[in-house]
Amino acid sequence: MTSITRRSAFGLAAAGAALALGGRPAFADQLADIRKAGKLRVAVAMGVPLFAFVDANVKPTGSDVETAKLIAKDLGVDFELVEITNAARVPTIQTRKADILVANLAITPERKQAVDFTVPYATLNIVVAGPEQVAIKEYKDLVGKRIAVTRATVNDQMVTQQAKGAEIVRFEDDATLITAVVSGQADIVSTQTAVLSAMNEKRSGAKLVTKFVQQELNLGIALPKGETALKGWLDDWIKAKFASGELNAVFKKFHDRDLPTDLVQRTV
Amino acid sequence: MRYQFDFGALLPYWRDFLDGALTTLTMTAFAVVFGLAIGILCAIGRRSASPLLQRLCGFYVELIRNTPYIIQIFFIFFGLSSIGLRLPIFAAAVLTLVVNVGAYTAEIVRAGMDTIHPGQIEAAQALGLSQPQIYWDVILRPALERVYPALTGQFVLMMLASSITSQISAEELTAVANNVQSFSFRAFETYIVVAVLYLALAVLLKLAFYGFGQLIFPRRRRLGTPL
Repeated sequence: MTSITRRSAFGLAAAGAALALGGRPAFADQLADIRKAGKLRVAVAMGVPLFAFVDANVKPTGSDVETAKLIAKDLGVDFELVEITNAARVPTIQTRKADILVANLAITPERKQAVDFTVPYATLNIVVAGPEQVAIKEYKDLVGKRIAVTRATVNDQMVTQQAKGAEIVRFEDDATLITAVVSGQADIVSTQTAVLSAMNEKRSGAKLVTKFVQQELNLGIALPKGETALKGWLDDWIKAKFASGELNAVFKKFHDRDLPTDLVQRTV
Repeated sequence: MRYQFDFGALLPYWRDFLDGALTTLTMTAFAVVFGLAIGILCAIGRRSASPLLQRLCGFYVELIRNTPYIIQIFFIFFGLSSIGLRLPIFAAAVLTLVVNVGAYTAEIVRAGMDTIHPGQIEAAQALGLSQPQIYWDVILRPALERVYPALTGQFVLMMLASSITSQISAEELTAVANNVQSFSFRAFETYIVVAVLYLALAVLLKLAFYGFGQLIFPRRRRLGTPL
């Protein structure tokens, strides 16, 4: 390498470091930025049945995708889908690779330390399921058994903490988890009901049945910490759309059930 | 946005990192031993007089070397279970590594064997050495000594590629990193730690291979010259 190219390579690395560390001023107003840019970048974890998946025409759809589109429309800006994996959900918002995240992310105290959440916009039930003949009633029945989960989900966390001694196998996304169960790599899973029904649809053998409900989770839209203007707008939007029934309509179209009536009053 | 580094948040997870690094090393050790065995057999097969054996080994090598590792992983992992064979995750991950590295090893070993001058083999035949003796003393040992650096380089690459087995839920170092960052939300720090750990593992592996090379190749140790 000549000295000139070496120097420019060094300069490039320095510029990269500066970019990574000093990207934006501390008190930017993201809502104004979005309006100025004319587009809303929404992170969605694809490959989740009913929430975010590709339809027969390979077009992204699902309740999360449609909700996100609705938000962009009402903001009066273009919609840009940022496809991410499950484990990248919180880091995507922390590093501002997207403006907001609508990716069936449950509101938890741990996550609240890393990102801000809106009021709940939807719910999901997470369950432990397995073959009919396997006796599982609670977490301790999982000890010594192989249970499959999707990495970086609340299910993963709950099973990890409460079923010590179980062999937990973690897959990167729901799509891979479904393949694992359909192909028979695992037959005990902890997942949400929507994913479970997709598994049973594709599974040729005996259906998996719900063993016990782990929790009903409230899902929030995640956004970077301290963006009060954006959070305020989103909270108002969710409350208004919930009151008008539009939010419920989008959800029901995919999930075939209504949202809980007290949804937006729930504090998590 | 200024980023506040907080490596202290990762301290509670040191055991997980250690377990992950050990799993990666164990997987690598198994894959090196079995991959080398398959590679040598395959190299011999490709050089054999039997056209069937030549084609079979050639097909395996070309198939593996010309498809992405992640496709091979999904194919083996989900394919096997679809036909009813449910391996433990660790065994399945090692199997995919062995199948993959075996093909690369075969080509490196074959290249080494091709450098042995036909005159040497003819001389060994003239001296009345048996076929196994010729293969072991005249072809394989000098060949392995010649390609040893390329071979060990390939094994280090394979150790790094083993990170992909996190996709089929093998709990190796990368999978641990993905878990830790999802619980601690310190993604930047986690991946810095894991990058340093991989670097350390690679250096460790190189040193081990160097020491092993000195041990098994006395000629190189005494003369210090390449063959």
